[in-house]
Amino acid sequence: MRILLVEDDDLIGSGVEAGLRQAGFTVDWARDGRKAMLALETTAYALVVLDLGLPLLSGNELLKWLRDAGNDVPVLVLTAKGTVADRVDGLEAGADDYLGKPFDLTELVARSRALLRRSQGRSVEVIRYRDLVVDPAGQTVLRDDARVPLTARELAVLVQLLTHQGVPQSKSRLEESLYGWQEEIESNAIEVHVSNLRKKLGADLITTVRGIGYVMEKV
Amino acid sequence: MPASIRRRLVLLILASIALVWTVALVSSYRHAAHELQEWEDARLVEFARFLVVLSPADLAALAKTHIDARDEFDIQHANAKDDDDSLPRDILLQVRDADGRILASSPELASLQGWQVQTPATPGLRTMTLGGKPWHTFTLHDTASGRTVRVLEPANTRSDLATGAARRISRPIAFALPVLAILVWFSIGHSLAPLKMLSNAIRTRDVSKLEPIEMGPTPAEVRPLVDAINQLLARLALSIERERAFTSDAAHELKTPLAAIKVQAQVALSAPNTASQQLAMRRVVQGVDRSAHLAEQLLLLARLDEHDKLPTAPVRLETLARNAIAAKEPAARRKDIHVALIDSEPCEVVAEPLLMGILLDNLIDNAIKYGEAGGRVEVAIRRESEAVQLTVRDNGPGVSAEDRARLTDRFFRCKDTRASGSGLGLSIVARIVEYFGAQLTFDTGIGGAGLSAEIVFPAAAVAPARVTSAAET
Repeated sequence: MRILLVEDDDLIGSGVEAGLRQAGFTVDWARDGRKAMLALETTAYALVVLDLGLPLLSGNELLKWLRDAGNDVPVLVLTAKGTVADRVDGLEAGADDYLGKPFDLTELVARSRALLRRSQGRSVEVIRYRDLVVDPAGQTVLRDDARVPLTARELAVLVQLLTHQGVPQSKSRLEESLYGWQEEIESNAIEVHVSNLRKKLGADLITTVRGIGYVMEKV
Repeated sequence: MPASIRRRLVLLILASIALVWTVALVSSYRHAAHELQEWEDARLVEFARFLVVLSPADLAALAKTHIDARDEFDIQHANAKDDDDSLPRDILLQVRDADGRILASSPELASLQGWQVQTPATPGLRTMTLGGKPWHTFTLHDTASGRTVRVLEPANTRSDLATGAARRISRPIAFALPVLAILVWFSIGHSLAPLKMLSNAIRTRDVSKLEPIEMGPTPAEVRPLVDAINQLLARLALSIERERAFTSDAAHELKTPLAAIKVQAQVALSAPNTASQQLAMRRVVQGVDRSAHLAEQLLLLARLDEHDKLPTAPVRLETLARNAIAAKEPAARRKDIHVALIDSEPCEVVAEPLLMGILLDNLIDNAIKYGEAGGRVEVAIRRESEAVQLTVRDNGPGVSAEDRARLTDRFFRCKDTRASGSGLGLSIVARIVEYFGAQLTFDTGIGGAGLSAEIVFPAAAVAPARVTSAAET
């Protein structure tokens, strides 16, 4: 799942980026408001982690622009100004959650997952599908209570399809959610991941929608 | 005992009243005594004239009687006791005819030694001592009858009547003084009540309450004091407000590096491999360095705010500038920025070398940090008549005129700046500049691009020119 991190501070930015990557997310890091705007215009992110004190375009301005544009991507705001008034302002401007600096990285990851769950209409982290139990947070997949080893990318494809059951996901959409700005993508990467998933979890799990992409049918 | 305005005023007022009264008393006494003397003299003259026309037989009879010259007789009179006139004062007389024979003489005259020595006496009033006592005498020479009349009266040395008058004047004063003292004491206390109210208002005031003191109508003498205190309170409130804002800004600024340290430490803890763990740990160290730097800057500002006078000495600007440029060389090389001392007239300013070093460090550091990669930074030291001018300028993106005015505000950061920083560097520079009585101005930098910071040290801060060798330290 692809997250946009908007943070001007090098040390905090690199830390959050590394933390979110370790948690299995794909992360794009924008260091100012304008770059974030560009990224949001071109890419469909699952979540935005936004620092409010930004150069060029402040976090609040960006948030207002985002909501005015009708984009309802969940936004988690980070800020050093932790007063109640600041929080209220941020939440009313369209933020979905709020973390004051210095924050706990594990809490940031947990809140990110919670926001993602909510936006996908789930209330628990673990996704059950037929004989599968998928835990994106724990990065584990159980089939008939037996653990199936998956790579991070395979898991990401699986989660993307599972969280959009019945909605076919195009190859480019899957690529977009899997790969960040600096990452090289092999032209057949998605096909390889899907074929591996079919081998490990069952051939009938993922259906190919000809000319569109892949889908996991609703149960 | 502490000095008391009330006590002092009461003493001063009572002493003044007592002094004025004493002077009035003495003067009335003297006047009364003088009047009495004149009256007594007139009586003596009248008596002598009366003797001129008396027959020798009557004179002889009169000489044998006691003629009492007391001023007051009525013993029942209220003031009789004070007048000391309880004993008779007999007038003595002597009358001679044209040939100098004594027609009549008081028998007491015989006992007064030296009386005869005084004859023949000159006419008129005299005071003399006879038999150890003072006497008033009057000698009258009547040309018609040829008689010489002399009358003597014991001098009223105790000024009985005058003393009485003095007593009558001074008695009410003696009673009035304590009453006056009490009245004055309470009036002054009443007049000083606004001061007491003011001190109560200040004493019962809470430390956090700094609004002006309101006392309603206050006397003209107390108003300036109340106004001055209110002005002080206003200044105090402003400085506390500024202090609070600074503390809160400082706390926010400290939170950022702390957040970075925490995040990087957590990344390191859960890092999947040694390489990423090492990277995260290096970033932890960077974060610690950054908070330490920020703490140092805050401490420096706090110390500069304490207004402690630092020992100053003539400082060679060129040497400091070269040192600062050398220290920033690695940072400049990373951004491919060329830093040069383009102009360096040998001059010294009276300052503190460490602070001057920090000033130059901050200016050059800023120019590199906010300058364009591959750009230039120029440092110039010039002598402008009596003053010394230090300029640091770059050809970076510069600062808008609007933002330039706020550059020295604490924690101020330009909205579109990308480099990391706390927004304290230039406020530290401004404080140091202020500390040495110099002037700091900002303008556009090299060729109208970038920013230039210009510091002018006034003539007073410029050390007298010395013969300097060409050798560089």
